[in-house]
Amino acid sequence: MGVRNTMKVERAKRDLTQAHLAAMAGVTRRSINAIEAGRMVPSVLLALKIARALGISVEEIFSLDDALEHRL
Amino acid sequence: MTEPTVDRSELFLSFNRRKMIALLGIVIVVGAIGLAILLTPSGPAWRTVSRASLIPVAIAIIVAVQMSLRGRRWAPDSPEVRMAMQDEWWKTNMDRASRIALVVVLLSQYPLAWLFGLIMSDLPQPRPSFAMAFATITLGAVTQLGLFLYFDRES
Repeated sequence: MGVRNTMKVERAKRDLTQAHLAAMAGVTRRSINAIEAGRMVPSVLLALKIARALGISVEEIFSLDDALEHRL
Repeated sequence: MTEPTVDRSELFLSFNRRKMIALLGIVIVVGAIGLAILLTPSGPAWRTVSRASLIPVAIAIIVAVQMSLRGRRWAPDSPEVRMAMQDEWWKTNMDRASRIALVVVLLSQYPLAWLFGLIMSDLPQPRPSFAMAFATITLGAVTQLGLFLYFDRES
């Protein structure tokens, strides 16, 4: 989808379940699941909420994938 | 503190999904019956269809009501309902389903016009127009609901 993320890794580091992270970010578990699986790119607002919930910056979680990076 | 909201939002989502499946069933049944009535001119066949039509409609309504009652009452301003309704995955799926349904409805107009023009060419004028409108509405609603349920399935 053009964006890769390390959400699953960061979540695992903090021993958080998808449901817990979802509650912290104010979305449903399905959203977290879809983002982790690469089926959805979150909005800026949701990306910021997730980053805040994980206590890291957005750039540490989300980045452009290689194909998109080379095109820029 | 967050666990109950998580559980309840999951419950609400599954309840909402059951409701949408019931709605899809009702739309299909009502659409099929409506088209059958419109396609069959007044006469014995029409009378049979209109009488028989009450049975599946009644079944669909009973099933929908039962499914609704099995769920709990959800206050629209409760945190789990707000969380589910503002959920990005839910909105994304609904948007995708709406866009595709719009395209399907637009693309189907020409074939439907041909179909109903040929099938109902011997019927008085308002009937083919109503049948085409009915078919369009049913097709749009079924496409949107069906696609949403497909996109929103648990993978």
